[in-house]
This record gives sequence, structure tokens and C-alpha cells, in this order.
Amino acid sequence: MGFFRKIFQTGEGQQEKASGPSVKEPQQPSFLKLSANIDYLTKALKNSSDLKVRILNDGKAALLYYESLADQEKLQKKIFSQIESGRWEEVLDLPHGKHTENLEEALKTLLTGHAVYVQEGSTTLTQFEVTSQFNRSVEEPINERVVRGSHEGFVENVMININLIRKRLMHRDLTFQYFRVGKKTNTNIVLAFMDGIADPNIIEQVTNRIKSVTSDAIFSPGYMEEFIEDAPFSPFPQMMSTERPDRAVANLMDGRVLLMAEGSPTALVLPVTFFMFYQSPDDYNSRWISGTFIRLIRLMSFIIAIGLPAFYIAIIGFHYEVLPDDLILPVKGSINEIAYPPIVEALIMVIIVELIRESGIRLPQPIGQTIGIVGGLVIGDAVVQAGLISNLMVIVVALTAIASFVVPSYELSTTLRILTFPLIFFAGTLGFVGIVFGMLFILIHLCKLESFGTPYFAPVAPLRIKDLKDTFVRLPLFWLDKRPKDAKPVKSKAIGESREWTKIERQQKRK
Amino acid sequence: MLKKGWLVIICIILLTGCWDQRNFKNVKLVLTAGFDLMEDGQINTTVSLPTILRSSDGAGQERIQVVSAIGRTPRDTRDKIDRKISNSFAASKLEVLLVGEELAKQDLYPPLDVFYRDPRSNLNAKIAVVKGEASEAIRLKIEQESRISKYLGGLLQAMENTTHSPGENLQLICAEMFEPGQDFVLPLLRVNEEASLIEYDGLALFNERSYTGKDLDQEEAVLMMLLNGQKGKTARMTFKVREDGKQRIMNYATIHVYRSNSRINVTTSGSNVTADIKLHMRVDVIEYPKNHLETVKEVKKIKKELKKQLTQKSEEIFAKLKDTNSDVFGIGRRVAAYYPDVWKQLDKKNYLENVTFNPDIEIVIQQHGIIN
Repeated sequence: MGFFRKIFQTGEGQQEKASGPSVKEPQQPSFLKLSANIDYLTKALKNSSDLKVRILNDGKAALLYYESLADQEKLQKKIFSQIESGRWEEVLDLPHGKHTENLEEALKTLLTGHAVYVQEGSTTLTQFEVTSQFNRSVEEPINERVVRGSHEGFVENVMININLIRKRLMHRDLTFQYFRVGKKTNTNIVLAFMDGIADPNIIEQVTNRIKSVTSDAIFSPGYMEEFIEDAPFSPFPQMMSTERPDRAVANLMDGRVLLMAEGSPTALVLPVTFFMFYQSPDDYNSRWISGTFIRLIRLMSFIIAIGLPAFYIAIIGFHYEVLPDDLILPVKGSINEIAYPPIVEALIMVIIVELIRESGIRLPQPIGQTIGIVGGLVIGDAVVQAGLISNLMVIVVALTAIASFVVPSYELSTTLRILTFPLIFFAGTLGFVGIVFGMLFILIHLCKLESFGTPYFAPVAPLRIKDLKDTFVRLPLFWLDKRPKDAKPVKSKAIGESREWTKIERQQKRK
Repeated sequence: MLKKGWLVIICIILLTGCWDQRNFKNVKLVLTAGFDLMEDGQINTTVSLPTILRSSDGAGQERIQVVSAIGRTPRDTRDKIDRKISNSFAASKLEVLLVGEELAKQDLYPPLDVFYRDPRSNLNAKIAVVKGEASEAIRLKIEQESRISKYLGGLLQAMENTTHSPGENLQLICAEMFEPGQDFVLPLLRVNEEASLIEYDGLALFNERSYTGKDLDQEEAVLMMLLNGQKGKTARMTFKVREDGKQRIMNYATIHVYRSNSRINVTTSGSNVTADIKLHMRVDVIEYPKNHLETVKEVKKIKKELKKQLTQKSEEIFAKLKDTNSDVFGIGRRVAAYYPDVWKQLDKKNYLENVTFNPDIEIVIQQHGIIN
């Protein structure tokens, strides 16, 4: 790695970084003259066409706002109706107004959708909050549907998202911290955590990492993710995104931290473990036995998704002896006249499936379905009939694709499908030995990986038997009385004695 | 360093490629093989090679090719067969191995050596002796059965289930071949050319590593297996229990062994070895054409008769074993384990002759069907 470091580590970067955070807020005192103020502002805003300058009082005052950001009705209600009602003499006296004498500050508020009132002969600039908002309703997120439980989802407005969380978690320890990130985009990033449960070290770490980002633009949490995660070269996601308030709240209560951004309905949960990606709110809404069963199936799908094509290739290409006697001739019959070696066959099929998925995902729904049918049924059938690919390989790859979608998290599902490829190559070169090597690499990487200083593969490595209660299985909730230790919660006890009534009732019956 | 590392990884993957690959589609599977001894001492190997022709839906059509070759050793014949077939010869999924009578009468280990030496051979393959030539059995065309391997494998499996054979495979007989105090039996098959079938014909008795030429017939086989504590899933025997039936059929009774337990106890006095074989069976009478089995007296009478006949039959089995010195019960091994001094004195070739067998057979008739 020293090689790369030498290339990329030039003195330049460090200098820029040092000058970044210490830049002072620009100051520009306002002028007494109205025209000077207006000139300054319009010039600073590059005479943008949607900047409206409304001259009032025969040219003695002006109201500036972006007509694209301001809500006309609010403007009417907050300023003009108030004046008309006669209760206030001047716009300057209006109670909603926020005064400033700094033109740069006024500039900033203008950009967030405020209206600025400027008067001749006064240095006071009055700002009115008239931002118009277009909000989506809090619908269920399509990629995280559940059968039972809340059907609310986060929206693009971060205030509404905070509201959704606060409504579910009415405690004074719930803390939100705002950050402005992105030099040009000025994106509002919100950090949420439970003070007194979340580990202060992790919060400090996250805060530092967010502050050190000096990118011009931050669009979404996904964008933020790459700047602050521990190992950007790892295939595994080290933050979990969710659009569900209930999931977010459950994670907050585990002592984890939430990262949200204005303009995106996705909240990032951190630190995370590998097994968290296999938990779904459904597990906790259904009975624990069925929850356990479904979770076991999901974890099994991990093995199928990354290992099944490799396993099949290894058998067909190296160790056909392991096939049971009764299966050997049907298998032989189906692959006997396939032109390509199994590894090529598998790669073709896996890539076809990825093509179908990728083309279907962005098309409008009716066309997407057609593509699914054409791709899945027609190609699948024709490819076997043409003798390009054996029908067993079609089964194997289809099963793999299905298994990769079982994961409740979309990021991990992509990861799984990418991990299939190295394993296919390993199996194609070394057979079962290759699969063992590949799995070994993956396991070593998982054990080594950290998410904000916490072990990623917990509670398996490092092993903590107590936390296994909610990992491969989902035991009854009243047994999950301690928070999982991987997020290093300050307060570990989560549930007190809750089923004492059983003893009391038994005693009463005896009497 | 890193550049070199990548280069090495890329070279390893691309240059070696699929070096060790043994593609399943490029092999010709041998599912049944048979060895015969030629008059000049050469080995004749016959194999059946199934080929499935691909069809777009469902299982394809199956074709069987039978190839044989004569050579000095089994490996030599394998190579000769390999030169006659498309793709390469693969015996690693062998299901049934047949050995011709004449070859079995010689030492059995040399022809099997090739299987034990090759790590890929299927030691789970069933093995049987064929009366006459093994190649005849493999060449037999049976219309109803698609594959000879399936037919033979099924037949041998069924014989194992009905307590007719111990279900020996290549792995299991290997130890017994080298063990002086324990011998084995293999199922004996006979080709019925007229009916175009293969029949189970009892058990071939082996002494050390070679076939003695003597067999246990089908009924003796069942009893021998029970005495040895090797009951399969079912065990049935038919006996003549009376003489006074109006029709011949009325003289017989069939029993189904529900549960059996045998204990072999070996004692010595001097160099005399005595083997007490205690067999306890719980049986159901599943066929009794004469009917009227409702009285205790009648049941007792049958029981007594059965005991007499079973004891008599087991004596016959013991006589046969002594005659061939085929120590199927592993008496020698027990002597070696419990009385090593005695074992040292015994003649390892013919010790069975002097062993006294004391069968003690006890049966309990616990059911006689759902009618009386």
C-alpha cells in the first residue's frame, strides 16, 4: 500500500484540509441606502431570474425573495395581511421578522426560502420565513415492506422525519444534532442518538468524521456514507440504510446512531453488524417461533446466494463422485451436450440474470413486468432448448438470484451477488478447495472489519453467547433483556422483570 | 510489490486455468463391471456404459453400450476398454461389481487391487459372484429394465433387505479378506437365459480370499444371517410343520421374524473350541393355510416343530461351514481375542473343523395375523 500512499499523498491536500474548517463566516454590514443593499444582494445572487425584488412604499422599501422558494400565500399572510389589519404600523415591527444587519446572513436566509425586507434609511434587514414546502405523504417505503406493523416511512423533509421519530420516542434523552455539510450544497445533516445509551466515543467519532468532510456537494446519506465509513474498499456495507421510522427507533434504543440528510428519505444506522442486515421488523411483529424460522431461512439464503453456483461448478468440474447414485445419470444427461465448460456456463447465466434485473428495475412497472417474463421465461427456456446452458445451471442460478433477494437490505443483496463471482472463479480453478479458500477470505475479512470501532461480525466474532439470542434465532422478547454489546451501549439493561405476573397468578390459583 | 502481487494472482488464475478440472460431461461412466478368468489366466473385463441422449423436456433416452476387453490385469483391461470408447473411462461411480465363479475360486484380492489403490474408486459398490461368467450377466438384455446396474443394484439391495445377504461391498470385504479368523459370504447370482433374468441363488461361502465352490441355499442363507445377528428389514421362512394336510399346501407355515437376537459365546477347554449360539426370535405366523390356529395347544405344537426344524437346519449349516472352513461367524476372531494362547496353537487353515457348535434356538410366536 506504501506505493499508492506515495502517489496520492501530496502536500497539497493537507494544506487545503488545514485551511478548511478555520474559514470565518463572511461579514458584510448593511448599508443605509436601500439601493446599495439591493444592489449588493442581487449582485451576490448573480441576478438570477427567479429572485424577485418587490418595490414597496413608492420606492422607499423593498421585499426580496426567490419566487421559486417562497410560498406566495405565506408571504401574503405573514406580511401584507398583518399590515392591512392595522395592528402594526410598519413591516419592521412585525413579530415574525428576524432582524439582522449583516447582508451575508440575509443572503443565506434568502437561499433557504426567506423573504428579506429592506427599508430606505435603515440598516436593519427583516427576514420572514415564507419557505414553501412540497411534501410527499409518509407512505410505506416500497423496498422495506412489512406484513404487520407500522406502514409509515421517512420522506424527503428531514423535519418530518424527526417528527416521526420523536412521536415514537418521547424521551428527553433523544438528541438531534445538525451539521451543514457540502460547501456548495449546504446540506443539512442530522445526527440522532439516545444520550445515556449510545456510546459517547462513537458519537464523537462520527461528529469528527462528518466535520472533516470538505466536499462541495453532499446529496444523500449514501454520498456521506463513503466519506465516513471505515473500509471503503470492502464489499460489505458498514452502515445500514432504512426508510422505516420504527426500525430507526429500535436501533436508537440499541444505542446506535442515526444519520439523516435533508432531501433524502433514507436514514443511516451506525455502527452495524453483519447480522443486523438479516433482521427485519417483521421478525419482531410476528410470533417468535415463526420469526426464528424465517430468520434461519434468511441466513441460509446467504450461503445459497454466494456459494451455490460455485458448489455446482465444483461438482460438475471436479468432484462428480459426490453426486448420489440415483442422481448421476439425470445430471449427466442434462450436461452431456453443453458446449461450454461449467464456469463459462455459470458466468453467462449469472450475467443474464443481472441484465434482466437491471433492465427491469428502472423501467415503468408494466414494461418491467414484461421484461421479467421475457427474460425469465423465454430466455430461460430457450437457452436450455438451444443447448447453450444446462437446465440444472438455470435452476442453480435462478435459485441464487432468489436467495440474494431474501436479504431485507438492498445493499447487502448487491454485495452477495458480487461475491458470487470470485467464488465462481475459485471453484472453477480449484474445485472444493477453491471454495474453501474463497469462504476463508470472506470470513477473515468479516472478522477483521470494523464499523466505527465496533466489530462487524459480532456477536459471532468476538463470540458473545448472550447476543446470539437475537442473531440466528429470535427468542421471546422478554428474554432479550440486555442490549447487544457490539454498539457498546452505556446502559445495557433494556427490559426489567416483565412476566412476574405469571408467578403471582399461579400463586393465586393455588389459594 | 503490489504490482507484482497482482501480476502473480492474474497469472495463477489465467495461466493455470482449469488445470485439474475433470469435467463430468467428458467422462464415460461405468456403473457395472464384471471380471472373468480366461483359460490362459488372463482377465476379461466387461463393463456396461449408459449414455443419456439429451431431450428438451424430462429425462432423455438412455442407451447402453457393453464393452469387454481381455488383458493381463484389470487395469490393463481398463486401458484397453478406454481405447474403444468415446470420452474417458470413469469407474468412480461403479454401483455393482460382478465376479465370475472361476475367478472367485482363485484369490479374490488381486483383481480387486485396482479398486483399493485408486482413491477415486467407489468402495461402496456392491459385489456379487456369478455362477458361470460375469460377462453373461452384464450382456443380458432385459427389456423391462433400462439399465443392468439398476437391476443388479436393486436386486442385491432387496436381498439385503430380506435377510438373504449381508450387503457386502468392496470396503467391507477388504478387512475380512486379510483377517484369518473371519470369512465372508457373497451373494451368488445365476443367469436365467430362458427367462432372460438374473436370479439370486444363495450365498457363496468364502474361505480366506477364495470361493470354496460350496453355497448356502436361499433358506439356509436366511437362517445363517439370523444366527449371525444380521437381520435385514424383513426375514421370512417357510417350514413344513405337519404331515396330515388334505392338500399339500396345508402342511406348511410361514413365519415372519419380528425381532431376533443372537449371541455367540465361545469357550475353550484345552484346544477344543465350543461355540454356543443362542438365537432368540419373536415371530409372527403370516401364513398358515390349514387355519385354526386359535388354541394355545396348536400354537405350542407349531412352536415345538419350528424349533426342531430350525435346530436341525442350523446343524446342516454348521456342517457346511466346517466342511469348507468358511468361518462366517468369526469364531476364529473371538478365539484370538479371548483365548490368544489357544489361537496360537490352532491350525489357521482348518481350525473350524474341530469347533463344536451348540445352537440354542428359542422362538416366541407372538402373533398369528388378524384372523385366527
